[in-house]
Amino acid sequence: MAEKINVSDKTKGVDTWARNPLYVGLAIGILAVLVQVLLISAGGPEAYGFCVACHTRDVVNVAVNDIAGTKLAVAAISQNAILPVMTVIGVLIGAFISARYYQEFRTKAGSAVSYLWYLLGGIFFMIFALFMGGCPYRMGLRIGYGDVVALIGVIAIIIGVLAGIKIASAMMEREG
Amino acid sequence: MAAAAGWLAKNVAVIAVPIVTLIFGLFIGWLAQRSGFCSIGGFRDFFIFRHTRLLYGYLALISGAFIGYLVFSLLTPSALGGFFWVLHNGLIPVPGAPANLSVAAYIILAIVGGIAVGLIGLLLGGCPLRQVVMTSEGNMKSLVFVIGMCAGSVIYAAWISGVGVAILKGLGIA
Repeated sequence: MAEKINVSDKTKGVDTWARNPLYVGLAIGILAVLVQVLLISAGGPEAYGFCVACHTRDVVNVAVNDIAGTKLAVAAISQNAILPVMTVIGVLIGAFISARYYQEFRTKAGSAVSYLWYLLGGIFFMIFALFMGGCPYRMGLRIGYGDVVALIGVIAIIIGVLAGIKIASAMMEREG
Repeated sequence: MAAAAGWLAKNVAVIAVPIVTLIFGLFIGWLAQRSGFCSIGGFRDFFIFRHTRLLYGYLALISGAFIGYLVFSLLTPSALGGFFWVLHNGLIPVPGAPANLSVAAYIILAIVGGIAVGLIGLLLGGCPLRQVVMTSEGNMKSLVFVIGMCAGSVIYAAWISGVGVAILKGLGIA
């Protein structure tokens, strides 16, 4: 996490807000509602304004369906629209422009073994997130929408995080 | 429930979907890059260091969504017919997970999926949004994670979702 504060005028004004997760969370939550209010006529599901897992799935599966002629499942909104939901593409580009502008872009390579873990991690993360019906963000939107199962899901995420902390600290102790 | 109707008519909305979501994504990408926004990181920082900065961000997302849904359910009820979900539909979750299962099956999927998501996110240093943002910051490991997510979505849709539902049905809980 690059926390370098360089040119002072770049960290003033609106950037002070953008650096505070509290305002960022509020903005994402409210705008995700606005996306549903604007676009729900194109198709469901509800509480679908922002999801990193499902929106990635929609882009990838629509592309694979178009190229290979398969019928992989995607959300109705992405099936009906001329192009699927492009949120994650936007995040990639927006974060890249921001990282470049604030001079926080650093190419960081990993070991071959770490790449294998991250690849498997990405695959299994996606599979389990889709079984749950969304990434942690869509679970948050669903809780706001009044979905009790989403609340159970987030409690399970917290249990998973606690288990992960135990495993990580045990691994660190073993390695000294 | 009648077909949900938003501010944009269907023939306009189907064209607006990629445009609106792309602009929304650009905005989130900028904010998430500046703030280091991360849900799983929020839980991690709270449990290890008692830091609440990121955790409050995630709680603010839930609160912001609730307030937004509440306000717009009064302004444009046709777009938010399902709000407040549990009052209309009980424990059946909002669609998104595999369709037409029992409540017990959805709760099992939420528990198993949630624990796995929390565990993987913690061990690999972030939730999917953080991984996407770190990819844009030049982190090659996160890029591989995102590629894995893309592969996972095809694997899930092509094979795993059917197998998972079959297992649940075989156990008699779907």
